[in-house]
Amino acid sequence: MGVEDEPRIGVFVCHCGHNIAGTVDVETVAKVAMHYPNVVYSTDLMFTCSDAGQTHIRESIAEHNLNRVVVASCSPRMHEPTFRRVVEEAGLNRYLFEQVNLREHCSWCHAREPDKATIKAEDLVRMAVARAALLEPLEVKTVKVAPHALVVGGGVTGLRAAVDIGSRGFKVTLVEKESELGGHLRHLSTMYPNDEKATDVIDRMLIAAKAIEDIELMTSSVIVDLDGHIGNFETTIKNLKTNKTAKRTFGTVIVATGFEPFEPEGYYEYGNNPNIITLAEYEKMKSQGSVLRISDGRPPKNIMFIGCVGSREEGNKGHEHCSRYCCTAMTKAACDIKDHAEEVMVLYDDLRTFGRGHEEYHREARAKHVMFSKFAHTKKPKVCLKEDQIVVKWKDVLSGTYCEFKPDMLVLTTAMVPPALTDEVAKLFGLTRSGDGFFNEEHIKLAPLTTHTAGIMIAGTAQSAKDATDSATQASGAAAKATSLMARENVEIESTVSWVDETLCSSCHTCVQACPYGAIEMSTTKDPPVAFVTEAKCHGCGTCAAACPSNAITMRHSTDEQIMSMVEAFLMPTTLEGGGE
Amino acid sequence: MTVAGEDIDYGSMRPSETALVIGGGVAGMQAALDIADQGYQVVLVEKTPSIGGVMAMLDKTFPTLDCSACILTPRLSEVSRHPNIKLLTYSEVTGITGEAGDFKVKVLKKARKVLEDKCSGCGDCVPHCPVQVRNEFDQNLGYRKAIYIGFPQNTPLVYTIDSENCIKCELCVKSCDREAIDLTQEDEEIEIPVGAIVIATGYELFDVSQYHRLGYGRFKNVINALEYERLINAAGPTGGNLMRLSDGKIPKSIGFVQCVGARDVKKNVPYCSRVCCMYGIKNAVMAKELQHDNVKNVTVYYADIRAYGKGFEEFYTMSKERFGIKFIRGRVGEVEEVPKTKNITVWAENTETGDFLKNEHELLVLCPGILPPKGLKELAENLGLEVSIDGFIPIQYPASNPVDTTIPGVFVAGCAESAKDIPDSVAAGSAAAMRASITLARGGEP
Repeated sequence: MGVEDEPRIGVFVCHCGHNIAGTVDVETVAKVAMHYPNVVYSTDLMFTCSDAGQTHIRESIAEHNLNRVVVASCSPRMHEPTFRRVVEEAGLNRYLFEQVNLREHCSWCHAREPDKATIKAEDLVRMAVARAALLEPLEVKTVKVAPHALVVGGGVTGLRAAVDIGSRGFKVTLVEKESELGGHLRHLSTMYPNDEKATDVIDRMLIAAKAIEDIELMTSSVIVDLDGHIGNFETTIKNLKTNKTAKRTFGTVIVATGFEPFEPEGYYEYGNNPNIITLAEYEKMKSQGSVLRISDGRPPKNIMFIGCVGSREEGNKGHEHCSRYCCTAMTKAACDIKDHAEEVMVLYDDLRTFGRGHEEYHREARAKHVMFSKFAHTKKPKVCLKEDQIVVKWKDVLSGTYCEFKPDMLVLTTAMVPPALTDEVAKLFGLTRSGDGFFNEEHIKLAPLTTHTAGIMIAGTAQSAKDATDSATQASGAAAKATSLMARENVEIESTVSWVDETLCSSCHTCVQACPYGAIEMSTTKDPPVAFVTEAKCHGCGTCAAACPSNAITMRHSTDEQIMSMVEAFLMPTTLEGGGE
Repeated sequence: MTVAGEDIDYGSMRPSETALVIGGGVAGMQAALDIADQGYQVVLVEKTPSIGGVMAMLDKTFPTLDCSACILTPRLSEVSRHPNIKLLTYSEVTGITGEAGDFKVKVLKKARKVLEDKCSGCGDCVPHCPVQVRNEFDQNLGYRKAIYIGFPQNTPLVYTIDSENCIKCELCVKSCDREAIDLTQEDEEIEIPVGAIVIATGYELFDVSQYHRLGYGRFKNVINALEYERLINAAGPTGGNLMRLSDGKIPKSIGFVQCVGARDVKKNVPYCSRVCCMYGIKNAVMAKELQHDNVKNVTVYYADIRAYGKGFEEFYTMSKERFGIKFIRGRVGEVEEVPKTKNITVWAENTETGDFLKNEHELLVLCPGILPPKGLKELAENLGLEVSIDGFIPIQYPASNPVDTTIPGVFVAGCAESAKDIPDSVAAGSAAAMRASITLARGGEP
């Protein structure tokens, strides 16, 4: 069965339970598809991605001698790999598969217009069939993975990841911009949920790290350049003290660049009274000895904590998220200080002591008579200064009463926000950012540690606000992803890349400029030099093909002919009488 | 890859290259994949007939409303096809001896009475089976036969005969062209040497009937959240049509009660279950999403909304603004059934306004908290571990070693350690895989 033969296309229209079939008449779509050019088999299936569905595709390929497969189901983001594998198992090249997104692009967005949705579904399938007829097999390529990992960031996340990779027997280099390792934990007192000293947590990992020969620790250093692709990231690391640079080649990267505690300028008179501090400042003071009022060096007697400072603010971009660690951290701090203070008060919006052992701090704090008061989500407390006196006024929503408290120390529990240089880091590693400003994972539920850039993982607070336990968990998880790549030695790369017809290239450099991934260079071995694509770096975005004034660049798997065939199929439908076999 | 029923000599597996994962939910599957991807062998033991865990029963997932089956199914097939993963479903770990690098694990393979290497999953036997029983996978709301698969994506796709209800009529045996059914098959115990162990036994839900005042078990239109998931699931017993159990009507007013069996010292569940706020909100949104204008009123009764994870707060906000879900801060005091309509009257205090409420809902969904699964204590004892006071596996150093148990070579992932949502369970699965692979790589040395 060769592709040079006449196309023999099989169409499989998925119900996806009710997700598609609830709106689109999938049976009709499948029936109509039978009459499109080159279609020899068409059917509808309940769950095409299930083992039963996959088996049906494989059997149909054999039975009807199919050489192209169209599955009309969901977004290719999740299941394109599934179905490509299925057709491969049946002996077809994986690029002879075409997926139509009837769910996200049709049934979900036209849920209230089933008839029109069905017509649109038919259009989409017809277009995909036209394109499928022109699909060409592409060679599947692999790249070698250098057995050396890079971990960026030396906080609890970076250290955990580096220790794991080193312990597993792979080389790892950890790069930290500060002169010391340990990140924010160096400035914390004791940790929830087990009251362990934060420095003990760091020391445990530092001892482990230093005992492993395969771990290279580079402090006061930053990554200034990263070039290459999965398996082979060529990296320049600069020492900020000596300004010397070092070059390393890494097979895989874990970005653990962490967070920054939000500086609450403009909130609750912060900055206008020395005794109004952030929880980060409070913790730092506590870790260095004891908590004292900045104004007079005395221990505070009446302390108030306010939660959600710079978190959960609808409409304030970068501050809409819950910072996840703060309710419990604040509750623990309040619980601890109650032993030494007269009154301790916590103002909160919702109290989110959700993790293991967190609720126990909450309960203990209440048992110690730490006072908790809930303010309305839409009406935050007001802080005013009467000379040196801090006065806090708010409405306790549970009693409905207006309250006033005059703390001699006010602690603002501020949000976790992405650190200042996040944009640069994103650019360097080809990462995108989610609405909260942290880095985007590959899939929010099932792939929280990998990213859309193959070979680059994220972990800890670089991915979203979280506490040390959840960060360390992600760190080990990301380390597993990195070691899997290194243990496999070779990884497959996408073949849907751009291709330069050297005879047409006019050496204008337009594509070199246009490529957002730095995947195109001018080949100096040719005279005149022609554009050359590093396939492992190419994301297949097509920008170069669109920009090329000489039409010398073809996007494999998205050729002009393939795209035009879809437009044509939409505008001038060809439906055959009879059809099928 | 486990070719179903393929003859594997488990006894001769090399402990230095093999890990055991106990539990085939989303955490266990992730752990198995991440160990197997490193080139080690994995034996994945799951006590039910299929991997997938509770996630396979869910309809949509928060905070993106991804359909659970849609994202889980590729994982199921990835696990079942992985060349380094041996699947032992319908099997239980009964004993563990030895130490890191050299454990001996006893596994009871329960008699499935269907030969895994012969069954093609065609289902031809099903119409012949005269015994109909309630389907546990559908939370007993739907029915299955005594020869069954729990759900269409059952992995491996092999039928199972439930010996308790089978009447040995042999009609299925006669109907099977492939001669895949063997009613004489008996339980089998095998011993497997492994070097590292991941506990991923998941959780079970709090039995909400313990709150007599909330009416579950007394009133038909009071259901629990997992029953709700099955009712809105297209592959569920109602084909995805949300209906009341009393009369099959679409409920126009739905109440969700949070923290049922969570944050309650008296019920011995002092901890927060971490997922219920979000699945509650998600289910509330789904009621609107599925029935559009039919559902006029969706109200969530809560104590604190703990929308802590990535995208959660944003989802919570959307539920209020876009879907018009009402949120009332207050625990429900008492519920009663309206005799004529079978509607549910809810008495609650809105603690933010101090108002006492008497609301009538056509359906009330109780959102149960998470408990350690039955058998976790015994499994832990087998390993020489004692469970914590909360009943979950204890961790000595949560901030630095969050998946390490106190026994070298034994790790924990997902809800066996404490309540977790899907992304946190997945991360923990990967983390446990990492730690287990280190044990294997170092021959059991810590």
